[in-house]
Amino acid sequence: MTRGTGAAGVTAVIGLLEIRRRKLQFILIALIVTLISYLVLMINGLGVGLNEQAGSALKNFDADAIAYSERAGLSVIRSELSAELVAEIRQRFGDESSAPLGYLAANYQAADGEIDSAAFLGFEPGSIGEPKVTKGRMLTADDRDGLLVDRSFLRYSGLDVGDAVRVSIRLVERDYVIIGETNEGNFFFQPSVYLLRSSWQELKYGKSGSDVPAASIMLLKGKGTAGSRGSGWIAVDKSTAFANIEGVSGQQSTVQALRVFGYLIGGLVIGVFFYVLTLQKIGQIGVLKAVGASSFFVFRQVLLQVLAISIAGVAIAIPLAWLTNRALQQVPNPVPIAFTTGTFLVTSALLVLMAAIGAAFSGRQVAKVDPIIALGQQQ
Amino acid sequence: MTVTLEVSGLSKTYGSGEQAVQAVRDASFSTQPGAFVAVVGPSGSGKTTLLAMVGGLLTPTAGTIVVNGRDIAGLSRSQQAAYRRESVGYVFQANNLLPFLTARENLLVMAQISGTARKAARARADRLLAELGIEGRAGALATELSGGERQRVAIARALMNDPGLVLVDEPTASLDSARGRQVVESLIREVKQRGKLGLMVTHDMDMAKLADRILAMHDGLMTEVEKS
Ligand SMILES: Nc1ncnc2c1ncn2[C@@H]1O[C@H](COP(=O)(O)OP(=O)(O)OP(=O)(O)O)[C@@H](O)[C@H]1O
Ligand SMILES: [Mg+2]
Repeated sequence: MTRGTGAAGVTAVIGLLEIRRRKLQFILIALIVTLISYLVLMINGLGVGLNEQAGSALKNFDADAIAYSERAGLSVIRSELSAELVAEIRQRFGDESSAPLGYLAANYQAADGEIDSAAFLGFEPGSIGEPKVTKGRMLTADDRDGLLVDRSFLRYSGLDVGDAVRVSIRLVERDYVIIGETNEGNFFFQPSVYLLRSSWQELKYGKSGSDVPAASIMLLKGKGTAGSRGSGWIAVDKSTAFANIEGVSGQQSTVQALRVFGYLIGGLVIGVFFYVLTLQKIGQIGVLKAVGASSFFVFRQVLLQVLAISIAGVAIAIPLAWLTNRALQQVPNPVPIAFTTGTFLVTSALLVLMAAIGAAFSGRQVAKVDPIIALGQQQ
Repeated sequence: MTVTLEVSGLSKTYGSGEQAVQAVRDASFSTQPGAFVAVVGPSGSGKTTLLAMVGGLLTPTAGTIVVNGRDIAGLSRSQQAAYRRESVGYVFQANNLLPFLTARENLLVMAQISGTARKAARARADRLLAELGIEGRAGALATELSGGERQRVAIARALMNDPGLVLVDEPTASLDSARGRQVVESLIREVKQRGKLGLMVTHDMDMAKLADRILAMHDGLMTEVEKS
């Protein structure tokens, strides 16, 4: 039997030749690496997905900063701004760069009669608080019982543009009509539903006008808006506002911990595998050293193998994770997993880096091998 | 490229106390460029130990090994590795090929270790395999070769980087006498033409007689045998 020495007769590097000749052994390791990479990718996707679920609508606001009432402790739930405060902030930043927004969590009745909850956001058409309509049309000042609902709202509720929907809060029930669809995502872990600010006031406080709070928060746009404050209000940038959504920081630190463990376990498993492999090959390493190879030369072969195996493992895991995500999005109550190119790139790079660090375990072992054992070796 | 060797007072003791084995005791000899020296002696007499010290694999307990004016007895581990890489071609008693590589690849590894250009290395590997009559087995895995074929690949590997010292431990053990004679004669030719040094351990007195000189080991003691 004749074996080639690589394309065009060029010598392949010995570490890679070994992978080619001991396929089964290395395929098994690559499989483990694939599974770990897959797990870590899914955890990272879950992190991004949960983040989006927490409040992509907040991130999508056409604003740089969010103003709260001073005593709300940066909580959208507890923040209320009076008509005077709204007018004052508006005057300071101008109508083009500021917009009041009301928030209320309320229940609605889905097509199948189930009661579910959504985040109702009161906005003013034409202001920077206005969402982008992807289906149907934008609300006008006359649409006092009109709603713009998020795509996910339509999916969960089984309703469609043009349908009526009954909204209830405390003892009040009101009927609205879905005028348009948006794609702003969630606000406060619930699908966002936009309505006129005056309708929001009526839903929340029972009446509209200047003797009830005019908004929960103000959206601010432009340089210098973040960090600004006045008597009775304080503004922070959007990412601070996001991190202050109740539950977000706990959730993200949980995901972060899982992620760190994923990388550590990945590095450790690969490290241990190649360590064992190195122990098994001490005789051959002794021979290589006896004929003049430096420890560094031998370690380079191990490192090359680790890189090849971990890159292969990650490369298989990426499409697997992507396909899993696509499949998961088909179920009625999708798991909040989201992938971005950045997630894939950063995760892959870190996994390969961890594998390389894991390979360092073998480095010491390689250095310790005494070439003298070549004298006693039998094949 | 020519090599001179001066060994003096060379000793090696394995272990210590009651377990101590004096494998080589106070050996001295010197050689001129182009010398081909046979080392004979019974099993356990210290032949491999002597060869390994000259080859920079073992550090002597006492004595000096001066190769081209430089004492290699006191080298550090990494200096020893460099010495082996640059100056020594070693054929181990157990031929020690890498089992997952083909005959040719076992030779090309040497080029990778020394950083030789690939094309030149491949040409040299094929030429050496042809000279030793195993060009037909170049693409076979080491595990698929016969004992004699493996031995010849090991000899080719030792010559791959054109070393000044060619140290061979029982190179003809698995070869029939005609083939063994051929192999030894080509080794001698290589050493003579390039002014190298050849040291060959053998059990076979007929093979030993092909060498310029014969050193005999007995219980670690070395004596020169007069060639008759
Ligand atoms: N690593 C070692 N540790 C302890 N003793 C050793 C070691 N290597 C060799 N010896 C001993 O040193 C002595 C010389 O061994 P050496 O291998 O040099 O003999 P040799 O002449 O090559 O024998 P053979 O013809 O069987 O190969 C023997 O008694 C052997 O048992
Ligand atoms: Mg021996």
